[in-house]
Amino acid sequence: MGRLIAHRLLATIPVLLLVTAGVFALLHLTPGDPIDAMMAESVDATAKDALRRELGLDRPIPVQYAAWMGRLLRGDLGRSIRNGEPVIENVSRRIRPSLELALLAMAISLTIAFPVAIASAVHHNTGVDRLGTTFALFGICMPNFLLALLLIFLFGVTLRWLPISGYVDPLEEGWAGVRSLVLPAVTLGLALAAVVTRTLRSSLLDALAEDYVRTARAKGLAESHVIRRHVLKNALIPVVTVLGLQLGTLIGGAVITEYVFALPGVGRLVVDAVFARDYPLVQGVILLIAVGFIASNLLVDVLYGWIDPRIRLR
Amino acid sequence: MSVSRREFLKTCAVMSSVPMVGLAPGVAAAQAPKKGGTLRVGFYIEAATMDPHLSGSKVDRQVYHNIYEPLVTLDTKLGIRPGLAESWSQPDPRTLVFKLRRGVRFHDGTDFTAEAAKFNFDRMKTEPKSVRKGEVASIDSVDVVDSHTIKINLKRPDAALLATLTDRAGMMISPKVVQERGAELQRNAKGAGTGPFEFVEWVKDAHLVIKRNEGYWNRQGGPYLDRVRYRPILDDTVKLQSLQSGEIDVMDYVQPRDVAAVKADKNVVVLDVPSLAAFAYQLNHQKPPFNNKALRQAVAYSLDLEQIVKGVWLNVGVPANGPIPPTSWAYDKSIPYIKRDLAKAKARLAEGGKPGGFEFTMTTANIPINVQEAEVIQAQLREAGITTKIKLVDAATQLSDGNSRNFEMISYQWSGRPDPDGNIYQFFRTTPGTSLNWSGISNPKLDELLDKTREVSNQAERKKLYSELIRLLQDELPMVYTVHPVEPKAFSPRVQGYEPIPDGMMRFKDVWLK
Repeated sequence: MGRLIAHRLLATIPVLLLVTAGVFALLHLTPGDPIDAMMAESVDATAKDALRRELGLDRPIPVQYAAWMGRLLRGDLGRSIRNGEPVIENVSRRIRPSLELALLAMAISLTIAFPVAIASAVHHNTGVDRLGTTFALFGICMPNFLLALLLIFLFGVTLRWLPISGYVDPLEEGWAGVRSLVLPAVTLGLALAAVVTRTLRSSLLDALAEDYVRTARAKGLAESHVIRRHVLKNALIPVVTVLGLQLGTLIGGAVITEYVFALPGVGRLVVDAVFARDYPLVQGVILLIAVGFIASNLLVDVLYGWIDPRIRLR
Repeated sequence: MSVSRREFLKTCAVMSSVPMVGLAPGVAAAQAPKKGGTLRVGFYIEAATMDPHLSGSKVDRQVYHNIYEPLVTLDTKLGIRPGLAESWSQPDPRTLVFKLRRGVRFHDGTDFTAEAAKFNFDRMKTEPKSVRKGEVASIDSVDVVDSHTIKINLKRPDAALLATLTDRAGMMISPKVVQERGAELQRNAKGAGTGPFEFVEWVKDAHLVIKRNEGYWNRQGGPYLDRVRYRPILDDTVKLQSLQSGEIDVMDYVQPRDVAAVKADKNVVVLDVPSLAAFAYQLNHQKPPFNNKALRQAVAYSLDLEQIVKGVWLNVGVPANGPIPPTSWAYDKSIPYIKRDLAKAKARLAEGGKPGGFEFTMTTANIPINVQEAEVIQAQLREAGITTKIKLVDAATQLSDGNSRNFEMISYQWSGRPDPDGNIYQFFRTTPGTSLNWSGISNPKLDELLDKTREVSNQAERKKLYSELIRLLQDELPMVYTVHPVEPKAFSPRVQGYEPIPDGMMRFKDVWLK
């Protein structure tokens, strides 16, 4: 296990180099620069040039990248061009709501997906199964922003049970914080639940057809025991894969949900930073998202071994 | 259309003649203002910085106008009123003397003096990241005459400078805070201003809170509110729903598409605030096809502004005859906007050597209402035989395309300035290098008139010059103007005493909660 992790960590280095270099190049090839975006009203061209020089934006792109890398190796992600705030502070403030939202959405999706998928698989090709499939299709097809607005209209405006937008940290203000995350978490959780339901249902069906299930039943084990101990555990691998990939997406890519609910998450941060051409900020966030993806995939690999010892032995 | 336009102008006139507009008419007049409460304001975007000298964002100004104060202020008719300066005089066209108000203190307890004012002007001119440089470019130096008098020496006469000093360029920051806090001022403006409210805290992406300044120098009226809490709510629909459900009390801007629905809602009060803005398209004079005047005119004659204002802006605005909005004293209502005339458009096409029409690319921001406008323009031009390709870009690309003149026709939405100079001079004056004159027009007659508007200080004379300019611009067409938008704001019926000033800034000094 230790060797697997060490090996994987080494393999991340070229990935991170590639990601940061690619983003750096793309960003600098995009028209517009942070000074123009920041000083839209000021017509003083010499002041703009002076600022560009001060920030080192007049140097060749490879030199700028090397300088950024050099600072990164010393543990310095630089400062935002737009407001001078250290990138690390900005990112660490934004990662909290994103993580909380992702975890809550995941919890909601699993709470829904497991019963629905099991019911669908066990009652394969019956009305229950069709209902489950319909739910899953609905969840996959429903656009995020539409679902968000419908939820807001129902629970925020009409019933007034939950706040419409804004973020309160559940770690600081407890219940008020959870309330502020419920609607966005349901928005993300429903779509994810649909994906997990589909994946779990089909892998459950595969497992149900295995010989060891027939054997278990032949031994006279209770059906619920068969499902829990023999079927479910063997059907989990594809689900863990999906969840691992989705965790990264939820943290860095929940832009629309964050936007609609005015949640200060990482997804919005990167989009705003790109629009402002805030190069150090974009680089910092992308690096973080890449690390997040790598970490969640590593976690998935470790989980594989725990779920299925055969993978560990290989 | 002419009726609703007249109505619009009438509204402007009525609003500017009533000094205080109570939001619930009849009720407001009967009740005396009361102290207390927190006003919750929804903004379309997060503030960028708390340092007025470094700010390039409109939303920042909304906060500034409550915690900082400029030397002079605007009234509802865009007249200049005393602010931190009690009075001013102009002994000659290149000198401006301000008598500063005594007994004013910054929130950090330091006195506001002539030295402090000089410090602020010097900082605007020399700080490398200062975004104010262009606005104070005509200032050569500032002399301290005595403890509460400053003398501003100008490089050239500048009739528009006073109006410029009603906003960020005239706002005074505590020198002590600037020196002690440095770059941190961008995030923390504690003690920095003199205004009716003091900065309390800014939790980035969550909220920004200001509280009543108990020691405010002006004892007349407010501040009444205990606190004001600003929150960014990016989605327009969600922001509106937040107001309707009582989560916020004020929203800074209602999208045209929502105006009708909001006006029908009894729990929301909508106020149409006429703006200083002019929305337009710049035509590139330095390359084909628009280096050809006849082809520029062909485009202008093909456009049906009435239809654009009605169909795209849903009448939340009026057709524009040029850069100066109806809210300005310089607006000349005797000059009609360019009417659609396809026969004339065809004649101009023939004159320009393209009787069968031509093709060009229109660059515009990828924002729903801009895209809609572009599509309507595309359809209108097609009827004249002109083919348009629409290129959608983000804001930074739009600025870079404009500055480098990498466009044929590009949208330009100018939020406007209180003095007509701010809507006109920098767009049309011959300027080498990058400037807001994206069209690249260089016309001696235009330059001469523009320079004259800065030298003459008599308002009636300036107005005449501006009328002459508008006529010339309608002929030369460096820019094709479409609309002067109205910026509706929406309030909870609890909010009283808000005074709409056409610069769109929400000053909460005299606002109170029922």
